[in-house]
Amino acid sequence: MENIVCNGCSLLCDDVSAEISSKGVNSLGLCKLGHTHLETVTAHKIVATQKKLEKAADLLMNTTNLLLFGWTHATDEAIREGLELAATLKGHFGSNVNLGPMQAMSHTIHAEGLDIDLEYVRNNGEFIIYWGTDPSESLHRHPSRFAVLPRGEKIPEGIESRTIGVVDVRQTETMKMANHRLIIPIGSDVELLNTVISELEGKSVIKDKILGIPGIELVGFVRNLQKADCIIIFYGSGVLNSGNQDTNLTGMVKLIETLRATGKKAYALPMFVQSNTMGVIKATHDHEIVGELLHRISSGEFDTTLVVGDDVLAHLPGSVAKALAKTQILYVGPPGGLTDKRATVSVHTSDAIIAGTGTMIRVDMKEIEFKKWRASVATEKHSEVLMKLHKLVRTKRT
Amino acid sequence: MKLNPMELYNLLPKTNCRLCEPKTCMAFATKLALGDISPDDCPPLLESGFEKNLERIRELVAPMLSAEATGIKLDESKCTGCNNCVVVCPVDVAAEPPTSEGKAAMSTDTVFRVENGISKIINLEKCRRFPPDRLNCRVCEQYCCTDAIEIW
Repeated sequence: MENIVCNGCSLLCDDVSAEISSKGVNSLGLCKLGHTHLETVTAHKIVATQKKLEKAADLLMNTTNLLLFGWTHATDEAIREGLELAATLKGHFGSNVNLGPMQAMSHTIHAEGLDIDLEYVRNNGEFIIYWGTDPSESLHRHPSRFAVLPRGEKIPEGIESRTIGVVDVRQTETMKMANHRLIIPIGSDVELLNTVISELEGKSVIKDKILGIPGIELVGFVRNLQKADCIIIFYGSGVLNSGNQDTNLTGMVKLIETLRATGKKAYALPMFVQSNTMGVIKATHDHEIVGELLHRISSGEFDTTLVVGDDVLAHLPGSVAKALAKTQILYVGPPGGLTDKRATVSVHTSDAIIAGTGTMIRVDMKEIEFKKWRASVATEKHSEVLMKLHKLVRTKRT
Repeated sequence: MKLNPMELYNLLPKTNCRLCEPKTCMAFATKLALGDISPDDCPPLLESGFEKNLERIRELVAPMLSAEATGIKLDESKCTGCNNCVVVCPVDVAAEPPTSEGKAAMSTDTVFRVENGISKIINLEKCRRFPPDRLNCRVCEQYCCTDAIEIW
């Protein structure tokens, strides 16, 4: 067994190990998502790419309006190379991060400086709230590694030293560990946020049942917020999918500010699932962001799309995926998936977990470096392929 | 019978008065569920107004007095390899201390270890439910979100 870094989700677990033998893949510590991801990418057959790269470079030279899209599963090095390629070709750099809800989620909270790293959460997080997110389904190790179960400097007894709250529109598996299980109607997040804020401000607004939650339960939730010294809210796509994304996120920011005004430490962290969403956010922080991307793709603005790392056709809304499929697609990434199948030219690369080099940014903005292991020998990486492609484009131009 | 700390917690005064050894009501409820503490160790619970709650708690914890070593069933088809059982198991934490900080178990000394994406019981005999401890410990079952672990 060798130590590896898993990129099956945005937690980028670096305390795990694996080995690949003729009998298959063996791993220790990897969750089901991570192990399945490793098994999948291990089975990929990557072939030589030079001819395909030449063809891709020729096509890129003849585009009139290029979109460079994907990136949330690419390494930081590949993203940086992609930004440079976009500048050379005067193309538009975009990703899921530029899509409405994700954009709101990634920029609103970060602009307010409300986030903190997960080690701090483990050591100090006294009241943990999962709001509109169910880590048991998407980020399996989030509760055990950082937020709920582990012991920390000020959390000597782990779960017994913490209070856990879950706010969702349905019964979730994570609720099994929660002290407070608040099931609210769809679209009522802001009403709950405002109620909690008012109660924290001493206005005693909770007299009876609110949003179907018994008053005594809600008062208990607020009292425990008041007793805790350090409160962390993990918010997920559920906060945004009701369509009130901006209002909800503004309410979330106000709740954090209200808690801080009473002398408490309070933070909010997003629960992105894609392995390097944060890498895209960090790398594009100072770059021009493609606005209204869904609309621009749907209107047929782009004639060519260079997709890197993501199977975007499988994940975009149907009408947008159809519009994107009408463009000339060049795909750089692991084999398989709709985008690879639909692409005019596909240049296959190894997944970062196999390549074992480069970095990604964990969901709390911490940089995690991949570890080289035996499987890393002679692999084709995203960043190297993009570098070669960029070089070819520049050569052909001159 | 499963003892849920949340059910016990909801019956406690929930004042976090710090008069008991565990200091918080949640910690007290967890220790109650494990049989490590008695309802009589909660002073506010013995005060007037909580008679019905005290009676109910005593009913709930009574079966633990006859607890014996029992089995653990792990349904691999339900397991997501979340490592909750590894991190929460007191035996694992003693056998491999980094698991207390959320790290994955790497040694062969723990009760649980996640292999190939699924938790495995690799040292059942070390479980605190077995002699010499014979404790009614159910933490792995309590914090298994997918109900993959069942104790009978």
